[in-house]
Amino acid sequence: MPIDLRPYFDELERFADGQMSPAEQDAFELRLEQDEALADAHAAYEQLTADLRWAAGHDTLRQRLQALDDRMNERGTALARAHHLAQRRQRRWAVWGTVGAVLLLAAGVASWYLGRPGPARPARSWEAYYQPDPGPAVTTGLLHSRPLLAEALDQYQSGHYPAALHSLGRVNPGNVGADTLLYLRGLMLLRQGQGNAAQLYLRRVSDDSAASGSELARRARYHLGMAYWQAQELAPALATLRAVAADSLSPYRASAHRAVAAGVLDGQ
Amino acid sequence: MSTPLAETLTQLRIGNQKFLIDFYQRSRHLFARWAQRKHRLPPDKAHGLLQDTLLDFYDHVADGRITRMPEDLRAYLYGMAQERIAAQVPAHQPLPAAEASRRQRLLAQFNQLSTDCQQVLTYFYFRGYHFEKMGGKMGFPNATVARRQKSTCLRKLYDLVRGGYEPITGEVA
Repeated sequence: MPIDLRPYFDELERFADGQMSPAEQDAFELRLEQDEALADAHAAYEQLTADLRWAAGHDTLRQRLQALDDRMNERGTALARAHHLAQRRQRRWAVWGTVGAVLLLAAGVASWYLGRPGPARPARSWEAYYQPDPGPAVTTGLLHSRPLLAEALDQYQSGHYPAALHSLGRVNPGNVGADTLLYLRGLMLLRQGQGNAAQLYLRRVSDDSAASGSELARRARYHLGMAYWQAQELAPALATLRAVAADSLSPYRASAHRAVAAGVLDGQ
Repeated sequence: MSTPLAETLTQLRIGNQKFLIDFYQRSRHLFARWAQRKHRLPPDKAHGLLQDTLLDFYDHVADGRITRMPEDLRAYLYGMAQERIAAQVPAHQPLPAAEASRRQRLLAQFNQLSTDCQQVLTYFYFRGYHFEKMGGKMGFPNATVARRQKSTCLRKLYDLVRGGYEPITGEVA
């Protein structure tokens, strides 16, 4: 028969917990020696509390180990997350670095392509091939003998073309020569950007002097070709410049040949 | 050959579990690697196995099955873990031999008590707190209330022991 501790519980608990007075304790210890049922109940109670002590300890250890495990897991997770974030940051920097390097390279290639010298793409403007004629030098003698012509030439050589044309209009043709005045007027108009107007004067010099084959006519023919080009009349420009390039006596032969060989006039 | 009863075992018996907690913290990672290599256990299962093994070790010390500290504690604990795996003991379950024991039944009954009762009984019977300190810890107004609470909780536990379980008094001689 199992011993029921309940009838003895109060006494056993007070005795075990030291809650009895010394007299009560002495009396209880005497009863333990004499009362077999009480002694069995006391032994069972001691067994119960010893087991309880173990159970509480076991449970405490289990909870502590579990809590420690949770903490270590959390720490591991946090470390893994931090590692993952650091890796992601590194990857992002690598991507941006690569993009930056590619953009830099592209910009370099583009600037090289746009800024490279252009043998592959010849200049298309007539000015790139034009060899200007500065006209006769303004000497002291010329200043004294033909001051208006000297003034016109000085203004032309300084780039003041409207003023030069105005001065040239005041020069007496009898003192200079009609062809020379026509030629100079054609030059000035050409430099001023009036290719159409320049053609009239230069053609007259070129045609009038062609029979005699003078050097002025050869010069005028070259500038006439350029005046055609400036006026975007490409076919007569090409034909005229070809003729200049073929003329071994022309002082502009090399320049005309370069313009023809560039093929710019053919393609337009 | 094992060393004489070490101070560690004495400390464990009187409730100082720091030694086992430190061992777990220090060895969890290495144990998990060993369990993965030898038994293909995933880390979380290995961690649970080490906790159960340390609880077994504590029980053995507490009930006197271990009276001398093993010379190579690590090898001893790994051996205990291996026995657990070989016996295919489910996680967080007592060993089959111990399952039938009176203490394991009491542990189950102890866990049926309310959290407050478990705390009160732990403070008194495991930590050894006197009523005044226990009252302070639990927020009771004085030591008398603490004593009454402890007494009530102990009776509740005894009622559980009496109800539907084998009589514990039969094993007492």
